[in-house]
Amino acid sequence: MNEQGLIDKLPRERFIEKLPRALPGLLLIVATTVAIRLWVEPWMANAVVFEQKGWLVKVTHLNYILLGIIMGMAYRNVIFGGKLPAVFADGFRLSRLFIKTGIILLGSLYTVQAIVKLGAMAIFLIGGFVILSIVMVLWLGKVFRMERSMTGVMANACSICGVSAAVATAPAVEAKPAHVAYAIATILGFGILTMFISPFLGHALGLNDLQYGAWVGTGILNSGQVLAACLAFNPNVAPGTAVSVGEIWNIMRVISIPFAVFIVTVWYWAGHDNPQRQQKTLTALLVEKFPVFVLGFLGMVLLTSIGAFGDVGIKGGPPASATIKMIRDWMQWIFGIGLVGLGGYIDLKELSQAGGAPFKVGILVGVTKYVLALIVVLVIRDYLIEI
Amino acid sequence: MKDASARLLVAVDGSEASAAALACAAAQVRCEGRSLTGVFVVDTGWADYIGNDWQSAAGARQGFLDYVRADQERHAAAARRQFEEATAGLADCRFEVLAGDPAECLVARMADSDAAALVLGRETFAVCGRPSVKRLPQTLAAKLGAALQLV
Repeated sequence: MNEQGLIDKLPRERFIEKLPRALPGLLLIVATTVAIRLWVEPWMANAVVFEQKGWLVKVTHLNYILLGIIMGMAYRNVIFGGKLPAVFADGFRLSRLFIKTGIILLGSLYTVQAIVKLGAMAIFLIGGFVILSIVMVLWLGKVFRMERSMTGVMANACSICGVSAAVATAPAVEAKPAHVAYAIATILGFGILTMFISPFLGHALGLNDLQYGAWVGTGILNSGQVLAACLAFNPNVAPGTAVSVGEIWNIMRVISIPFAVFIVTVWYWAGHDNPQRQQKTLTALLVEKFPVFVLGFLGMVLLTSIGAFGDVGIKGGPPASATIKMIRDWMQWIFGIGLVGLGGYIDLKELSQAGGAPFKVGILVGVTKYVLALIVVLVIRDYLIEI
Repeated sequence: MKDASARLLVAVDGSEASAAALACAAAQVRCEGRSLTGVFVVDTGWADYIGNDWQSAAGARQGFLDYVRADQERHAAAARRQFEEATAGLADCRFEVLAGDPAECLVARMADSDAAALVLGRETFAVCGRPSVKRLPQTLAAKLGAALQLV
């Protein structure tokens, strides 16, 4: 094969053409989720360990969400020896669609009024932490003499939305893909660590759902990891639960990706030898980078607000309708399936190679943000707005 | 056992690491009359690494993957130039571009060819690969054994 035109020659198939090939992997994921929810989790709740019934759940706080992620990780890194077999790979890829579908359905937890109340608070916290993280990365980038392009990538990755922000920013600031790969390894590795320790810390500190959701929604970088950390803390999906708070925070950050890419691009090219080369306008970036599933989420909020699914079951109001209850049951299954797939994409072989200046900057900013977010949430806990 | 004068495979990416490996391989070709194949591997593992799925819109993570592919095309072109310059005047030398996981591709290419050994620079493909490519020498040493010449 000649190197010219490789992009065109490597195979690309349409969604519908790949669907049949996704079935084996999908079956494996669904079977795993069913086994965990129907057998493993109930068994853990009743098992007597250290002469205490339910020790495995009470002390380790393992629920079907964390077990699913651990099982997904085990498939890739242990059972299949570091790589998903081709027969299962497309099914695991499809599982990411489940997470996005679940987030769209999460729109049924909120009314427009609730979104406005929570969103205003989220904008205040998220905005503050975004600015703080960007300033810190720009400063550390100088301290560690990172390339300007990598500083830009890390600024958005650490402040906005992890991998999504890193890959959205990299082409705009001409970052070398091999360098971006190390930044991604750092971000993912840190996120996975916080995803597992946050539920323990949250319970140990006696945080309620609102405080916990606000904390992890601010302190954890990646969407999937925020979702997993919230559901690991409290697997219930209803207004006021950790996932309903954390996801609003997360969506606020996701929406800001095109704006953050634009700002960092302007900063990068302002200091470039040839500043005229910057091409993308904010409008172009909005069209290109705006996360489409957020529109689905907002559509769901709108439908919920006009009563399309009956009562939502907000605290102090009428109980949730049968339709809403059914959607919430679906969501638990959908997230369970999606997060087994997410675990299957955690490649410990790649993450273990993280290093260099992006690793130092990522860890310093990540830890600062994670700890500071907890402190801020604890300080303002009486002012957090409940829905 | 493979013939000592049989073909050599050398991994090339246009970097200094692969220049050293290429010089070593070319010296063997001159001294021992071997034939030589230069190989560049387009790493197709990026999509799974960044968590891209086949439902993503063209402007989402696929945009970054296209950027990565363009970068790999540049490295492939640089590798070809580097190979052609290093083997100028030598007979029976050819250059190939493969697509897949670098370790798997190189092991498979060794298995289905008449090559006696693979010559590899310690940091070859690090300029355009995922973090796990850093362990390429160790991975290939485990899978190829004595057939690997590490430069």
